[in-house]
Amino acid sequence: MRYLALFMAQLKIRYIYLKRYYFDTLSMIVTLFLVFLIIFLGASWLLGGTPGEVGDTLEGIVVGFMVWSFALMAYGTLSWGMIEEAQQGTLEQLYMSPLGFGWVTILRVAAHFVINVLIVVVILFLMMATTGRWLNLDILSLIPLVLLTVAGAYGIGFFMGGLALVFKRVQSALQILQFVLVIFIAAPFGWTPFMRFLPLSLGTRLIGAVMIDGRSLVELAPGDVLFLIGNSAVYFGLGFLAFKFFENVARDRGLLGHY
Amino acid sequence: MDTVLQVKDLTKLYRRRRAEPVVAVDRVSFSVSKNEVVGLLGPNGAGKTTTIKCIAGLIKPTSGEIWLDGIDAIRRPGKAMERVAALLEGNRNIYWRLTPRENLEFFAGIQGHPVGRVRGYIDELIELFDLKDKERTSARMLSRGMQQKLALACALVRQTEVLLLDEPTLGLDVETSYELRHILKQMGARGERTILLSSHDMHVVQDICERVVIINNGRVVVDDRVRSLMKLFRASAYRFELEGQLAEELALTLRGRFPLLALSATDHRTYIDADLKDGNELYEVLDILKGGNTQIKSIGHKEPNLEEIFLTIVKGQLK
Repeated sequence: MRYLALFMAQLKIRYIYLKRYYFDTLSMIVTLFLVFLIIFLGASWLLGGTPGEVGDTLEGIVVGFMVWSFALMAYGTLSWGMIEEAQQGTLEQLYMSPLGFGWVTILRVAAHFVINVLIVVVILFLMMATTGRWLNLDILSLIPLVLLTVAGAYGIGFFMGGLALVFKRVQSALQILQFVLVIFIAAPFGWTPFMRFLPLSLGTRLIGAVMIDGRSLVELAPGDVLFLIGNSAVYFGLGFLAFKFFENVARDRGLLGHY
Repeated sequence: MDTVLQVKDLTKLYRRRRAEPVVAVDRVSFSVSKNEVVGLLGPNGAGKTTTIKCIAGLIKPTSGEIWLDGIDAIRRPGKAMERVAALLEGNRNIYWRLTPRENLEFFAGIQGHPVGRVRGYIDELIELFDLKDKERTSARMLSRGMQQKLALACALVRQTEVLLLDEPTLGLDVETSYELRHILKQMGARGERTILLSSHDMHVVQDICERVVIINNGRVVVDDRVRSLMKLFRASAYRFELEGQLAEELALTLRGRFPLLALSATDHRTYIDADLKDGNELYEVLDILKGGNTQIKSIGHKEPNLEEIFLTIVKGQLK
């Protein structure tokens, strides 16, 4: 019941922000869409629609961009979100929750994910309408896959958010990492066998298998799905542990409230 | 009386690279009973905020114990945080982009209270802090005083037994400061909450607190009831009224013997204000004055205020 109350409070605040600052929300969607258009136009000029692996085709670009939008928002919630809370002097208030700061953050992530799905769906439809390629939207297969894939981005977000608590000047690192996420998603999967050990990479390929090739979750190679679960668990787990570690350092050095 | 908050030998060291560690808090011990309102005083950098943040779980103590309602706050912070809310100095403590009501609902949620169950209390708080007219305004647009009132309301909405207030009236206009004092005083009088409050403003402390803990250089130097402190200092605070001007030589001798003594003069009178520990010190002053052939018009007790008491203690004359 208490956890539900905490989740609802986070969901409500996110909803209020998006609605009250609808101009920001709209410009975020428009910006993401414009970036997509540039990539899309550039790619169609280069490729002329040659079929190939995810990342090489136009469908692949739509899928990859969708995953990137998710990953970007997931990452932002934790990294930029943590900096914002520290700057506006509310971080310590969140920290004093009897449910623990870990739960405050995890439930915030969950609440934001719910809202992010809505935003990404809007962008996805815009992309599909522009490219004229309507992809397979098997919701039951996609939701678990997207969750598992994005968990890697949350892991990185936790790590960077924790870093931001201790070392206050991480903004440029945060920005650079946003584009590193693109590499994880867009680098050709068959490039090297190590690709599947990276975050986001395998997940994006599996999402592509559902959305482009029309397969369902159960039709995917079980080994791949299991590997994805393991990969996400490791990145998310390590990110969260690092976050707890940095949080502890911040508490020890009395840095929580300072920015 | 039941002890709600107990701090035992709380110590916080900040380690530094290639330098001696900084001692922020040094074996601080005190306790606060249920529904008591206690002032935590001390000059800048004395360790007040560190102490409060340690109790709130925001800073990890180097050693020592903190007990909240019998719960070990260092070992079980989650359980302890059900009992504490804090208003921190130098922070906004609230979301500027949310309205007062949205802020209150959010912080109730952070504490784990479902909105449905706290709605009535939120209405009460909005009423109490006179925020009704601004209920739909973003907190960013409120005056500094209103924001601070809202921040206090957000700490209250957590409905915790203990309230930690770090400089709650700092930077407020006189009117809002009075309003906050009034609200806190009423809460204290009604025995609603247990409050530990730090402030630079001795009027606020004298007005609200029953007891004060004074820390200096990270250590507790006084832990006493405000009334007893006043009584103690009334007995030792003297004012001498002298005819005419005091000779330079005498003034120097007096100052040499009692460094904290204050001299003031008008055209025809000189006043000496001094804290004298006992009768012997009184005679010493009289002996010095006698040497100068100065005529004493009157000797009386001076009514002390907390500010002077505080300064005297902190300057180290009385420990």
